[in-house]
Amino acid sequence: MRIRPCLYALAAAALLGAGCQLDLASEPADPVVHYSLSPTTTALDEAGEPLLPLAEQDHIAGSLTMLFGTPANPRFLRTAEWVDDEFDPNWPTYAADDNGGGEFSEDELAAIKADNERDFRRELALIEAGRYEDVVLPSWMPDLRSKWAAHLASKPADARDAEFQGEAKALLVDFYPTLRDSAELYRQQCLHCHGVEGGGDGPTAPFLNPKPRDYRAGVFKFTSMKDKSTPRREDLYRILDEGVTGTAMPSFRRFSQAELHGLVDYVRLLSMRGMVERDLVNTYLNEEALSMEAVLESFSAVWDKWGKAAEKHTQFDGAVPAPSKESIERGRTLFMDAATGNCFSCHGAEGRGDGASAFTKHPETGETIPAYKDDWGNEILPRNLRQGIFRGGRRPIDIYYRIKNGINGTPMPAAVSTMSDDDIWALVHYVGSLSEAPRVRPSSHSKSNADH
Amino acid sequence: MRLIASLLLLAVPILGVYTFMTAADHDWWFPPAYSTFAPDIDWLFDFIMYMVAFTFIVTEVALAWFVFKYSAKRNDKGVFTHGSHKLEMIWTAIPAVALLVIAFTQMETFAKIKFASGFPTQGRFTREKPIAQVWASQFDWRTRYPGDDGVLGTVDDLEASYEFVVPVNEDIVFELRSRDVIHSWFVPEFRLKQDALPGHTIPVWFNATKEGSYDLVCAELCGWGHYKMSGRVRVVSAQEFDAYQADLKAKWFSNGKE
Ligand code: HEC
Ligand code: HEC
Ligand SMILES: [Cu+2]
Repeated sequence: MRIRPCLYALAAAALLGAGCQLDLASEPADPVVHYSLSPTTTALDEAGEPLLPLAEQDHIAGSLTMLFGTPANPRFLRTAEWVDDEFDPNWPTYAADDNGGGEFSEDELAAIKADNERDFRRELALIEAGRYEDVVLPSWMPDLRSKWAAHLASKPADARDAEFQGEAKALLVDFYPTLRDSAELYRQQCLHCHGVEGGGDGPTAPFLNPKPRDYRAGVFKFTSMKDKSTPRREDLYRILDEGVTGTAMPSFRRFSQAELHGLVDYVRLLSMRGMVERDLVNTYLNEEALSMEAVLESFSAVWDKWGKAAEKHTQFDGAVPAPSKESIERGRTLFMDAATGNCFSCHGAEGRGDGASAFTKHPETGETIPAYKDDWGNEILPRNLRQGIFRGGRRPIDIYYRIKNGINGTPMPAAVSTMSDDDIWALVHYVGSLSEAPRVRPSSHSKSNADH
Repeated sequence: MRLIASLLLLAVPILGVYTFMTAADHDWWFPPAYSTFAPDIDWLFDFIMYMVAFTFIVTEVALAWFVFKYSAKRNDKGVFTHGSHKLEMIWTAIPAVALLVIAFTQMETFAKIKFASGFPTQGRFTREKPIAQVWASQFDWRTRYPGDDGVLGTVDDLEASYEFVVPVNEDIVFELRSRDVIHSWFVPEFRLKQDALPGHTIPVWFNATKEGSYDLVCAELCGWGHYKMSGRVRVVSAQEFDAYQADLKAKWFSNGKE
């Protein structure tokens, strides 16, 4: 007798569930969401008045939307000049020699395709078997998904021939994400740390140290560039591929090469957007008119900075030297020499990150606090080099770049110009040797840790 | 009514047993076993599962029978008892014996996998000369191979993130370490799981029997990003392994021109 009402309840619940399902299927059209302006743009002055009149803020926001689109539909404005040059900033994949605009060599393009074949092997097998309807593409590829749907709709199931099959395969093998695809992947994987605008202010950010990168200044720490220049594609790609050891920034190698390159494109878009925003604010504060020309000029200046990044690349020709007793000893001398490295003043005589200038006394409480702040206003300590954690990578060349160019946005300075390459390699070897902990070989009698 | 109730009760074990019996057809069962000791682990799993299944069926049937037989309507008077010493002895002794049987049966397999005595001593990789150190940290896996000096922990070590590449059909001994909190190295295909403890260097061994690329997951809740702490163990032929090492070394000493 008791069972009846229970059954009714169950049936009702099932119906309700089905209802929800239906509701989800017919997604309501999203209202257009725009990127927000940065807090420095919308800041108030002492009198509590906005630093920039609201009308100017709107103007800047509108210009940025015109240049960079919206989070759901990001795209670069293609200027008249670029149209004439047949250059499309939204599409970096054609080989580098076509019109000089593309960014990949033929080899790199081939590697991306080979990786797609691995990544989509399950889907490609389904296509091979003619089971098109069973192919399910990941949710972070909205543009590829709609292309796939259009392809399926182009021929009824019984008319799908070899040509159709070839085109279906090509869709996947030639896959390179659009900015919209990459923005979706960014939303799923990066946004909770780096924020919608790449301001390093996602919901997880308050809990992290170091803080996620704010891309908007165009300053990146772990690059191979001199003069604090914007990074090359290779530098950003390496960060996504390897992660930043010892911080919350993980390796994303589980995604395909195409996806990682797409994320680089999107990080670059967010970074350029932030740079143009700053530029426009400065233009206004310099009492110049925010005309259409000024906006476009700022846009192409920022593009130029990124486009010419490769010129600022630190080139090391020749073979990377292997460490030796002598080079390590020489590195030690340089490390302790105030005239060359002066490294010990920050990193401490033993490399423990406790040099004399690393800490200071709080002016009021007298507490010992870190002496330095980074460009983003967070306290920063010189690294304890005894832990063997190299955020920018442990390869000799990575540490070479760090010492030669310094670390952008942090107090870690570039090497003085009197230092030769040999000096820097000696420092690399010394710094690497600080965390050496040759494994003690267990004698055959010692017990395993797993033994009890 | 009592019939319906006891049948409903019986439906539970029947559904449970049916699910187990058809699980493999629905791809709900274990991934394939690709290490030398994986079949032993599976055998132990089956052994314990059949034991438990037998007990489960017997008790569930008894329970259903009790519900049927002793319904309140037909037995309005309860019986009070101080219990039966004999019965208690029996239901203590039987599980105790069962547990002892399990303990003794698994001992050899556990020792082979985890004890120092079970570690391989022949071959390229031994406890004295492990293939690599695998470092767990929030939230990724990194592998350190010894450089030219053949000693781990020195300045010329090579490092690979995400991937751990090993040769097939060879005893592999590696050392597991953690930078921060407790993690656990788990490759389901190998049936091998080992906690990584900060401050400890834990030797682990296995012998993979099939080339391929297997998911490496963290099996110890280690923080908010635990769910995405994944890596890959790539099992390749001996030649491919040597080529991989050479390639890793070339990339390691790259001068940045790539
Ligand atoms: C768990 C938080 C977290 C997630 C998720 C995350 N990052 Fe980061 N990211 C960080 C932190 C923290 C840093 C700063 C490390 C430092 O300053 O040493 C960083 C730094 C970076 C940098 C700058 C490196 C440099 O050289 O300055 C880039 C680029 C970057 N992340 C891109 C991404 C992308 C793209 C994604 C998504 C695929 C992502 N991050 C996901 C936390 C995160
Ligand atoms: C003004 C202080 C200062 C001086 C001088 C200085 N450093 Fe640093 N160094 C830092 C700080 C701060 C960091 C940490 C940056 C970070 O957290 O990203 C750092 C980080 C490093 C790192 C770690 C890079 C990585 O990838 O994680 C190395 C290596 C290093 N310094 C070497 C040197 C050497 C060699 C010298 C001398 C030539 C030197 N530093 C001089 C402040 C300094
Ligand atoms: Cu973990």
